[in-house]
Amino acid sequence: MDQGDLKTRVKELIVKQLKLEIDPTTIQNDTPLFGDAEGGLGLDSIDALELVLGVEKEFGIKVQDEEVGVAAFASVDALCGFIQSKAA
Amino acid sequence: MNPRFQELPHGYPFRFVDRTVTKTGPASGSVRAMITAGARRVEQGTALAPLTLAELIAQAALLLQGGDAELGRSGFLAGFSDLQVHRFPEAGDVLTVAVTMAGRLGPVVKFEGSISDDSGRAVASGGITVRQGTAQAPVAQAPAGS
Repeated sequence: MDQGDLKTRVKELIVKQLKLEIDPTTIQNDTPLFGDAEGGLGLDSIDALELVLGVEKEFGIKVQDEEVGVAAFASVDALCGFIQSKAA
Repeated sequence: MNPRFQELPHGYPFRFVDRTVTKTGPASGSVRAMITAGARRVEQGTALAPLTLAELIAQAALLLQGGDAELGRSGFLAGFSDLQVHRFPEAGDVLTVAVTMAGRLGPVVKFEGSISDDSGRAVASGGITVRQGTAQAPVAQAPAGS
């Protein structure tokens, strides 16, 4: 799967899994997913667990606690990198 | 006395679960909950409210998981999802609450639960998310903003 397709799937997953009322295409690849950063999605730790469960189900990878850090789920770009590294 | 009662921080009238029936994993199995006519929530003239059913699943999960009751007092039901109520339990019902752990991220844990009556009919089902009390919350490892 190319990077563009993966990013589209990840954005759609974020919106569907977290029941966000936004268009997935409006999420920028480098938009901060968590925290109060301006322009970010403002997700919290509850959302983080939902997102982990969604990523596990959608991509068939297991996310261990210690692997889930600020870097891995910081943005769509980071999450795609994480998924590709687990799938490799 | 069920020894795990000592691990459950909830007391009367907010303790809804009675005993563990089966334990199939660290936080998976089934729990019995008997609804009596003397229960305050029934005395008030109404059957169990939907949110009480979510709390019932949460308490069943906690009972199965075990742990430190004192530490448990700092945890809380953080949310629920896809809660479906097929009928409201009434006095005399003997309920079985089946629970499995769906996932954990630091102190945040999600459980999937289903409640059925003593004839096996579905009463309710749904996912509940709890934030469990921890002395040193590993949430620092989770994404910022937690």
